[in-house]
Amino acid sequence: MATVDVSEHADVWVFVEEHDGDVAGVSWELLAQGRTLADELGEDLVALVIGEDVADVGREAVERGADRALVADDPVFEPYRADPYGEQFRHLVEQRKPDVVLIGGTHTGRDFAGRVAVPAHAGLTADCTELGIDEDGHLEARRPAFGGNVLATIKCERHRPQMATVRAGVFEPAAPDPERDGEVERVDVVVNEADTLTAVLERSVGETVDITAADRVVAAGGGTDGELDPVLDLADALDAELAASRKAVDEGWVGHDRQVGQTGKTVRPELYVAVGISGAVQHVEGMNDSDVVVAINDDPNAPIFDHADYGIVGDLFEVCPALADRLRDADDPQEVIA
Amino acid sequence: MPDRWTVVVGVKQVPDEDDVSINPDTGTLDRADAAAILNRPDRNALEAALELKDEVDARVVAMTMGPPMASPVLETAVAMGCDDAVLVTDRAFGGSDTWPTSLALAETANYLDADVVVCGEETTDSSTGQVPPGIAAHNGWAQLTYAEGVEALPEEDQLAARRDVEGGYERVVADLPVVVAVAYGENEPRPAGLHRKIYAETEFEPAQVDADDLGIDEDAVGLAASPTQVGGMETVEPVDRERERVDTAAELTERLAEEGVV
Repeated sequence: MATVDVSEHADVWVFVEEHDGDVAGVSWELLAQGRTLADELGEDLVALVIGEDVADVGREAVERGADRALVADDPVFEPYRADPYGEQFRHLVEQRKPDVVLIGGTHTGRDFAGRVAVPAHAGLTADCTELGIDEDGHLEARRPAFGGNVLATIKCERHRPQMATVRAGVFEPAAPDPERDGEVERVDVVVNEADTLTAVLERSVGETVDITAADRVVAAGGGTDGELDPVLDLADALDAELAASRKAVDEGWVGHDRQVGQTGKTVRPELYVAVGISGAVQHVEGMNDSDVVVAINDDPNAPIFDHADYGIVGDLFEVCPALADRLRDADDPQEVIA
Repeated sequence: MPDRWTVVVGVKQVPDEDDVSINPDTGTLDRADAAAILNRPDRNALEAALELKDEVDARVVAMTMGPPMASPVLETAVAMGCDDAVLVTDRAFGGSDTWPTSLALAETANYLDADVVVCGEETTDSSTGQVPPGIAAHNGWAQLTYAEGVEALPEEDQLAARRDVEGGYERVVADLPVVVAVAYGENEPRPAGLHRKIYAETEFEPAQVDADDLGIDEDAVGLAASPTQVGGMETVEPVDRERERVDTAAELTERLAEEGVV
């Protein structure tokens, strides 16, 4: 199998995922981390923006750290579809030979990353949580394996680009600097509507919540049996964001944008309250960076108690309201004096 | 397009994740006794494929890539209702990452004249989710990932699916051939029927194909053709938690106030 001349490849690319003008937060997180990697490699940071009427997104990418934004602007790209996005991206990769390509580990990012990695014969590492550069200038992509018990380092030494999808919430986004200089370049669109293989009949997307930025998180698991009122009440008393385990998301009780853990998001709040969550390693992996963890579960043997600072064994219908009342009382100075 | 669709379902044998545990005190991994089972999300893929069979009388063939000892997952697929099954096996495939794996499965889909390939969302052992889009990309086919509901449109030679996307959903229609990755837990997989089970265990033998049968150059697969390599594994140190049990909400509130988080 032929290998590529890796020295021909340069620049760190970040795919800026946008839907209808809204940019996925993970894209800005990756742009900040991409800046660090590009500086370390002595290469440029390039934002790739695909969509319709997305020049502003390209401009914001420059303000957030890109040296250059490549903008493919055409109605064929709205809404997102794997085949036209992949074809456009493949063309740009072949033409411009990037060294590193970072893509958010969202459903969209995971959907289309392979659409580029396969024709480019690029190395693609999924769901990374750490990115670095080794002494030879290769990307070191680290990802949790075996449910987060092991961190595997994946390298791609003989192929380019070195591609990675990265989970939301692991890097801090850089704030925009309106003074920052950089180029927004419109690129040729190589995709025709007539050649597409798919059509989006309907798209219904509400406000996407960003649980990764929350200071306090209350998460519901399978043990709630979908009875979320006590959990929501506790979240309200704590002024916390609601999150969920995979089980609760798969059951349809809570939206996927609130899922914590492997294939979900990584959160690092000051306080994380796990309600009715058994504590599967895949979940623990996504909340292990929390400062203080509280577990509420009626099973005294639930593994979550090993990963919590404070645990209460009890029925969530009793514990959550009692806790919410207590917290509300504490907020009320009258009560404290009394 | 043929009168009768061929639906190929990709399945994989994985270690039972429930048997893989971590000792919180030592941080060591214990998976010595992990049983080999059918990747759980693949049950959702099998159910989705068999629903297509019910809907349009498709022929459903399961495929798995691996050594001959991986074939029990094909028996499970046949017991659930697949018409046939193929073991994709060759020493040349050893050490393949997702790039050559999806190449081998893409060529198997071609070999079987697939109209639709259905896979689980991801495998529980490597959880990349890259193989279904990889199969589609190798063959230049359409793909529908995170599919929650699949609807056959035989008159149009198309398939429609509701896809789960961040913060909502979308409905997408794709031209055949198409690769579908079914969202984990999305449907209720049917149990295997007793007669099918007996047939799968006693009479059924999966067909075997190797790189040569698939027209794959041996240099195009395996470790050497894999762009990624595992450079190392580090055990993640368990986070040191207090692990203190409290009895009442009052006591907990007190502790949280001491920690300064409420």
